[in-house]
Amino acid sequence: MDGWRLIPYRKFSAFENMAIDEAIFRGNQLGESPPTLRFYGWDPPAISVGYFQDVEQEVDLEYCRKNRVDIVRRPTGGKAVFHDRELTYSFISREKEGPFTPGVLGTYLVISRCIIKGLSGLGLDAEVAQGGLPEERVPTAHCFSFPSRYEILIAGKKVCGSAQTRASGTFLQHGSLLLDFDAAKALRAIRDRDGRVTEDTLRKAVTYLGAYLREGRTDPAHLSGMLKAGFEDVLRVEFVEGRLTPEEEALKDKLLTGKYVNGQWNREGRIPEKDLIA
Amino acid sequence: MMVFPDDLLYSREHTWARVDGNLVTVGLTDYGQAKLGEILNIDLPEVDTYVEQDEPFGTIESAATVTELISPVSGDVVRVNDDIADDVGIINSDPYDTGWMIVVEMTDASELDNLLDSSEYNDYVLGEEGLD
Repeated sequence: MDGWRLIPYRKFSAFENMAIDEAIFRGNQLGESPPTLRFYGWDPPAISVGYFQDVEQEVDLEYCRKNRVDIVRRPTGGKAVFHDRELTYSFISREKEGPFTPGVLGTYLVISRCIIKGLSGLGLDAEVAQGGLPEERVPTAHCFSFPSRYEILIAGKKVCGSAQTRASGTFLQHGSLLLDFDAAKALRAIRDRDGRVTEDTLRKAVTYLGAYLREGRTDPAHLSGMLKAGFEDVLRVEFVEGRLTPEEEALKDKLLTGKYVNGQWNREGRIPEKDLIA
Repeated sequence: MMVFPDDLLYSREHTWARVDGNLVTVGLTDYGQAKLGEILNIDLPEVDTYVEQDEPFGTIESAATVTELISPVSGDVVRVNDDIADDVGIINSDPYDTGWMIVVEMTDASELDNLLDSSEYNDYVLGEEGLD
């Protein structure tokens, strides 16, 4: 397991995306997968819910069925995200690799700095949210409706939402960098039980790269190259382009069929480990 | 200032063990809760679940992060602190008392030899923070 790996941008289904991220995460725990930065998109569009969320409470299942929007439960925490026009990253590493420190918030801060550095190469002046609301006081199921601490803002509005999981000294962080944002669609698909979030409040809280960049510069391949440079600069490492190992591919296939296309996992979560990838 | 009481044993995964005969009460250490930040959700096993030393017995969420809780001993879960599901903040505010998580009926007392005393755990934490 040498060096830092980059897995370049490609679109997958929601289920494949989560299975790939988890396969790398598990491989890294075993010392078999290198620290990895991956960029991806979603085809078809999908909603991901956090590990602890109640999908029936948070998502309009009928809307998703009618509009062919997939629904998947993430292995990470946080709130629901509508994945459509966005560039998603995942980063998997040992907790103590490079500049990372053991704490959860410290990891968010380092990765946010990497992304902000990458965005600066596009002339964008992004910043880290210093205050933010504690998650439990965020009065909505929408990930993007309020910034949490150390998330990324442009002009005071959230442009990237991230989440983590940790086990056996390894962390997986993935996050969505918005290229475009349709407040009406997001509000339709993700429920707001308290009625406190409106299209207007979402538009005031959320921004997207397309608002600042010419169309060609929001191309995911171009953008992910800029972000990779930001990670390299902040982490002081060099990423080498690679692909999943045969072991990761095999584990991804098991996770895909046993977990992520499994209705029980996506509806209820928390399936016993032995039943997931048996 | 972190507190690691002398009457407890500690795992390298930041759980504590209070031993009373073959019953072991388990919770998250002061360092463990600080490392996670403000805790928002927890998923604990049901009574009669068998847990193994160094294996997950539950999951916990803080700052959009899901982390496994690792058992310091093996045995059957005989009690679960249902109160913390309604007020997870007590894991942050009172990790060694009302923030306890489960009681395990230990099957192999020799596993306690794998745990750290408070002084050893303090040194371990300093090492993890790069302060040793």
